[in-house]
This record gives sequence, C-alpha cells and structure tokens, in this order.
Amino acid sequence: MKNEVITQQDQTFLQSIKRQYGNAYLSPFYRIGLILLGLPFQLIVFIAFIYKKYIKKQNGQVWEEARQLLIDKGYDQQLKSELLKQERNKQAFFDKSLSEKETSKRVDDLFNQQFKKAVDKKADEIFKNSNREKVTYLGLTEQFIGQLPLFILSVVIGFPMYLLMLIHSNPFVKYLFERLLMMMLVILGVTVIVFTLLYFSPSDAARNIIGETATQEQIDNFNAVYGLDDPYIVQLWRTIKGVFTFDLGNAYSGNQDVVNTIMRRFPVTMELAIFALLIALVIALPAGIYSAVKSNTLFDHVFMFIALIGLSIPSFWQGLIFILTFSIELGWLPATYNAENFSSLIMPAVVLGTLLMASVARMTRSSTLEVMNEDYILTARSKGLSNGRVMLRHAVPNALIPIVTIIGLQFGGVLGGAAVTEQVFNINGIGSYIVERQFIPDIPAVLGGVIYVAIVLSVINVVIDMLYALIDPRIRTNLKRH
Amino acid sequence: MKSYKDSLIYKQASFSLGLSLLYTLIIGLAAFEWETFEIRPQVMILMLANGIFSIIQAGLVWKLKRESRKTLVISKSSQLIAGGLIVSLLGGNIFLLISSLYIMKKQVRPGYIYAVYMVVTDLLVIGVSALNLFKPFVTNTFIPAMALLLVVVVLHLIVLVGYEKVQKLTGVPRMIILGILTLTVLTGNLFVLLVAYSMVRQSQEEPGVNRRKTLFEKIIRNQASMTGLLFIIFLVAISICSYWTFSYGLAVNNDYGNILQPPSLVYPFGTDNFGRDVFSRIVFGARISLTVGVLATMIPLIFGGLLGAISGYYGRHTDNLIMRFLDILYAIPGILLAITIVAAFGASTSNLIIALSIGYIPSYARTMRANVIQVTNLEYVEASRAVGNDNRNIIWKHVIPNSMAPMIVRATLTIGSAIIATSSLSYLGLGVENYIPEWGNILRSGSAYLETEPYLAIYPGLAIIALVLSFNFLGDGIRDATDPRLS
Repeated sequence: MKNEVITQQDQTFLQSIKRQYGNAYLSPFYRIGLILLGLPFQLIVFIAFIYKKYIKKQNGQVWEEARQLLIDKGYDQQLKSELLKQERNKQAFFDKSLSEKETSKRVDDLFNQQFKKAVDKKADEIFKNSNREKVTYLGLTEQFIGQLPLFILSVVIGFPMYLLMLIHSNPFVKYLFERLLMMMLVILGVTVIVFTLLYFSPSDAARNIIGETATQEQIDNFNAVYGLDDPYIVQLWRTIKGVFTFDLGNAYSGNQDVVNTIMRRFPVTMELAIFALLIALVIALPAGIYSAVKSNTLFDHVFMFIALIGLSIPSFWQGLIFILTFSIELGWLPATYNAENFSSLIMPAVVLGTLLMASVARMTRSSTLEVMNEDYILTARSKGLSNGRVMLRHAVPNALIPIVTIIGLQFGGVLGGAAVTEQVFNINGIGSYIVERQFIPDIPAVLGGVIYVAIVLSVINVVIDMLYALIDPRIRTNLKRH
Repeated sequence: MKSYKDSLIYKQASFSLGLSLLYTLIIGLAAFEWETFEIRPQVMILMLANGIFSIIQAGLVWKLKRESRKTLVISKSSQLIAGGLIVSLLGGNIFLLISSLYIMKKQVRPGYIYAVYMVVTDLLVIGVSALNLFKPFVTNTFIPAMALLLVVVVLHLIVLVGYEKVQKLTGVPRMIILGILTLTVLTGNLFVLLVAYSMVRQSQEEPGVNRRKTLFEKIIRNQASMTGLLFIIFLVAISICSYWTFSYGLAVNNDYGNILQPPSLVYPFGTDNFGRDVFSRIVFGARISLTVGVLATMIPLIFGGLLGAISGYYGRHTDNLIMRFLDILYAIPGILLAITIVAAFGASTSNLIIALSIGYIPSYARTMRANVIQVTNLEYVEASRAVGNDNRNIIWKHVIPNSMAPMIVRATLTIGSAIIATSSLSYLGLGVENYIPEWGNILRSGSAYLETEPYLAIYPGLAIIALVLSFNFLGDGIRDATDPRLS
C-alpha cells in the first residue's frame, strides 16, 4: 500500500499516461481498440519490436537456456513419472483400465502442458535475476510513450487512441461507453431480426396493395419502386442504413414518409406513457411502503389483493369498463382522446399504468419488508430514532433500488401495452399506427414502428442503468474496482 | 400453543367466512334492479339464506377460536353446527361446504383435503352443466354424460366420506378402488390425481419419521391458492365435459330470432348480436384460453430453460453469445414482436402461440441462468464432477432439477399473462381466428354494444380476470411453498 502511494506521488504526467495505457491494454476489447485507433503509431512500434526481438534477438536464447537447465536437473523425468503415477491411481480408483498406449498419450499431453509452464516460469526467473527486461510488445509501447518526443509523435499520428484511453480511465464514462456500444449492437440485432421476419413473410406485398387484378407489369413496377426485387443482403443493408439515418422510405399505402409519421406519433405515446408512469409511482410507492409498515393487517391484505387484481385485469377490458362507467354512465370524462383536452388523458394513462402500478406496489412492499429486517435498521432503532425517521431515512432509500429495475423492465410492457390502450381510446400514437398498418400489411411502417420503439426502450434502459450506478453506492464502488 | 391442524381448520373456516360474505354481497347487488329500484324476490331469498349461513359461520369461527384455548380437539357441538351448514350448498355456497367438511373430520390429511376439492369440482361441473336444462334443447349426449358425471360424483363422495376406511384397505381391493378413482380423471378433474398421489404417499409413511413435505402438502395451507387451483381445475373439467354436455351449435350458429337477449335462466349471460348464447361461448372459450396459455408457457419454459441452463453452466463465451442474442429479443416488447410475426405470417392460433412463446424465451432464460449459476457453485455439483460424471449428466441429473423451483413459479405466473396477451391480441383482431369463440373475440364483438348491452363485454372480461387471478394466486402460493426462507 505504502509503495503504491509513493509511486503515485512520484509519477510525472508521462508516467501516468504510461500506466493508463498498460491498464487499458490488459482487456482484450480495449487492446483491439487501441491498436486499431492508433494504427500508424502502433505500426512504428511493431517494426521496432520485430527488429529488437527477431533481428537483434534481445530476448536471446533465454527460453532455450531455461529448458536445458530444467532437463539437466532431471525435472522432466521426475514430472513424467509423477504424472504416470497419478494417471494409474486415477484409473485404479474408477476401476477403469485403459490400454498402455492411451495412458501414455494422456500422460504426454499433461506433461507437455506442465513442462511448458515450468519452463516459462524459469525463463521469467532468469530475466529477473539478470536484471534484463524481456522485450514485449506492451513494454516497448510503454517505453515509447514514456519518451517525450516519441509521445508527441504518437499524439500527432495516433490521437484517437488517447480518446479511448481517456474513456477507459474514468470508470463511469467507461461504463457508459460500453453500455452505449452494447445498445448499438442490440439495435443492429433488432433491425436484423425484425427485417428478417418480415422479409420471409409468405404474403406478396404488391398483390396486397394493388389488388388481385394487378398485371405483372404493375407488380414489377411496384417491386422496383420499393426495392423489393433486390437480394436479401442489399435490402437488409438499406434498412440498417435507413434506421440510423432516419430514412426508411415511404409506406406502401398513403405514400407518406415512414419516419416522419413515426416522429409525429411518438410524442403522443410518450406523453401517455410518462403520465402513466407518474400516476403509477405516485399511487404505488406510498401504498406499497405503508403496506410493508402495516404488514399482515387488513389494509395490507386488501391492498395486495387489489394489486393482484391489477396484475390480472386485461387492459382493454379495464378501458371498456372505464368508458362505460366514467363516460357513458357518469359522464365525467371524455371517452376518446383529444390533444387539447387534458382530462381525456386521465383514463388512458390510468389504464396503461395499472400493470406497472400493481407490480411496483408489490415490489415496493416486498423490498421494504426485506430491508426492514436488515441489521442497520436495528442499529438505527437502537440509536433511538423515531419510527418515521427510520423508515424515511434508512429503509425507503435502500428499498428503492430494486424498484428502479422493475420500472426499467416494465417500461417495455408499457410501450407495448400502449398498442392496445391506444386502440381502445382511439389515440393516434405509435402503437395504434403499428396495429393499423399491420392489417394492410404495410411492411415498412410496421418495421419502422417496431424498431424505433425498441430503440427508445434501449435508450431508456441505458438511462436507467446510469441512474442505477448513481443511486446505488455498491455499484459505484464495483465500477471503480474494475 | 396451537397445533398445525387446528390452525389450518381455523384458517379455512375464517377464509370461507370471508368468501361467503363476499358471495352474499354479490347476490345482494344482483337482487336489485338498479334502474327501477325493484327487488327480485327469488334472488333476495337466496341472499337472505346465504346471509344467515354466513352469520352462523361467523359464530362458529368465534366458537372455534374460544375453544382452541382449552383443547385442541374440536368439540362435538362445533362439528354438529358444521354438519348443519352443509345445507348452504343449496344456496350455491361452496365455500362454507369446504370449511364444514374440514371441521367435521377428526384428522385432516392432505389426501382428504384434495378429496374435498375433488367433490366440490364435480358439483360445480354438474351445476354449470345442469343450467343447460333451461335451454330449449340439449345435445344428444347430454343425458348419458350427466348420468356418468353423477356416478363419478357418488364414487368421489364414497372416497371422501370413507377416506380413512379406504386408506386402511390393503391388497387387491385397494388397488381396484385407487384404479377406478384414477380413471375418473378423464372427466378433467385433476384433483383426482392429487388424491390418489396423497393416498399412496400417506400409506408409505412410517410412524415417527418426519419427512420433508412436498409442494402439494405445503400448498394446502394457503387457502387463496387452493381457491385459485379449484377454479383452474374446474375450468379444465368443464372444458372437457362441455364436449358432451354443451351444444356447440348454440355457441357458434347464428339465431336471428334471439338477438341481444338480456341475461335470463335460458341465456345466463344473454345473447350477442348474432343470437349466440354468450354463456356457452364463454364455456367453449375456456379451452382455447387454457390451451394457448399453457402452450405459450411450456414452449418458452423448455427452450428458455435449456438456453439458460447451457448459458449458466458453461459460462464465458457460450454465456456471452447466448445472452447477447437474448438481449436483442428482450429489447422488443412482447406484444410488438407478436404483432410483427402476425403481420408477416398471418393471424392464426398456431402463429399466436409461436409469437407469444418467442417473446417469453429471454425472461425464462435469465431466470434459469441465475439459478444454474447459483447451483453450479454448490458442493454436490463439484462432488459429482469429482467422481467422473460428464457435463451432460451433471446438467440433467443435478443442475436442472435443483434450479426448477423458481421456473415453476414463473411459469404459473406467465400462464396468466399469456392468457391476457392472447385475449388482447384477439381483441385487436390479431390473435385467434374471429369465428372461434375465444374470450378476447367474444369481448371484441361485445364491445360494440357497450352503451346498450354492457353485459356482453362484462362477463367475458370477468372470466378472463377470474382465470388470470387464479393463476396468480396459485403462483404466489407455489412461490411461498418453495421459498426455503419461509418454511
């Protein structure tokens, strides 16, 4: 520990960069990134490395030397007989005898492995004793970076490499970077899967749109306009490019730009989903906490029963019953959504949020109950804190952590469920767009809708993961350690 | 100190009291004609009778509680009162019947409890089928099928009443009785299997040896999940029996003379815009919801479970590859994935099952993976590897069986959400073909008459909720029973 402190104080700027490089180089993923991003610089180092190792032979014959040393000592024979004895014992124990040839083959395999390891170890020892440094690629790179003129050269010709190192040096940024990279892969995968599913559809798009009476010429024309006569790979590549450049072409029917329509409809769905989330949290969190505090009382039983009903109720039925009660019988709220009228958002949001509300309430109750049995709650009580203070300062913040996860997992369900709720309340959101378009079936529209919903979900999940890292001290320390 | 059996009986008695009160309340609400403020006299009498029974039950619960302070044995007078309460069956109150049958028995064994539920299921099936008597006609198979059901219920009653005597039999007579009993499972009453299983298990018991309780012995202590199980098995039984006791024609054939009839004894849930009997449609819809729900759970359970097991056991690159692929699937919300598949391959029941199954695979795989990682690090797996078992053997014999409990809980809970998803997609017109009487389809056609005939949309919705709620109760019960921290 003391040593580490001293070296850290002594470090100059260049040395600290050297150390960072060494750290980043350790993980295979960043190693590839460093080599690719700093390719010109890495090439120079590589040439020097080849020169030193193979032409000047600075590593010398150490390995050969070590091998000879071990053989002279008789270590190889010793190891071989030892392994043979072990193999025999093993066969005797399992009551299985193998042929002489098979046995010697197994022993030889093991021997080769273990002897190589022993030689490597010995070679390292020799290097250490003779105070020479083994020429390695990493060592040489670090040596280059350590010298100012070469360092400046490396910055000039390979500066993207240093950006990657900068990312790697901060655990939080590194986590974010890796998470974003993962997200990109997921989006790519989603695009491939959704496109492939729709590509292999047995229905003929041209005949669906133009009608059964279409002539061959019309069909060919249609396929050429939408690029349907291209091979799979070309179409897939065009779709991937389209997803990232926000240009998926026109929908089959109505001739509107798909991405434009989606962008116009998405805000409606998001407004609905966020409002649903807010309603769910405002009701579920206090109720769940209160249920946990008063566990096994009448309130607890009744409330958990209601939550279970909330999990079991189909949202379209709930929507219909709401319309029947609040719009038709009582006339309190409008039955269909209208962008100008805020009160028309209440019923859809409650319906959409019910499932989330029920699962958050159940989760809040169980995680609060779990936290309440922890030792630190007992400590807080024994310090003489009031019940309310123990709950609000010590129990609830810790109980909130798993709830954040549940919200992240359930938000996908909310966005998917919007497809049903929007149909019931006649809302022009992304969900009803996908449902309406699939009846045609309008492939570009369905494809774009599903992929962009998945992208929004992925982004939300990244945000929640980041939030998680911010509120949970255990994750923060974990991040720093790796 | 209370013994386990007494507390079980007491718990059941008070639970039944609660349900009985709820039942009375619902009948009470149905007794009023809300628009005209008139009272339906017959329903009112039914409500009053049930109210009286509930009050007697409340007294009985209080009596049981007071007596349990002095002695653990239930007094003769309590048993007499309970015996009298069996009359409540005439008022359709099965909850009091269950608690009475518990109280009247000296020793309540798991097999006996399942026998009680077995008989209750029979009675429910017969009662619901008997509603067909009010119809203008019944199917040709109705009378023989009902006769057979009555024979079965008598047989089950014999097993219930003479439970201890049957249990004492040995040799061939016992084999014959158990064999016939097991055969009656063909009516769809799965409780029969549980009774037979419990009887066999009980006879293997040695006095003085405390065995670990199985799941089926633990779950009887959770009344809510038993009620859920009762409803599920009732639906399975009615799905099978309805082949012979219900007329499929009434559910699918148009009858323009009887369009949009209000609920009555002939048409308990009314008729829809084509004159089809909604009650028959709901009964026939049960089998579709159950089949789709169970299949859409079994397929991802198997595939997701296997992927998760491989991923968790081998770790490293295999794990990374499988989990990253499943992350991609997980990023698409289940309903949207289903819509995509339906858009590509058309709306049909088999496509619906496949679409739902694929959507559920990632969450099963994640659950299984977490369990397998936990189990793989335990000593007995290491021991198995040390004695030379190969990986495949270890996975099948040790890892998978020991990580199944959370999967079963998840499966039970997923059946519920699969049923909701099925009916939601059918409601949107993307699920089961619209000529099939499926609950979502019934609701879809009923929702057009929300203003004038709301019952067309209300009853199928209630059926969905009841079934999903039952699976959720059962799932919660299984979770509590398999959670080592709670036992």
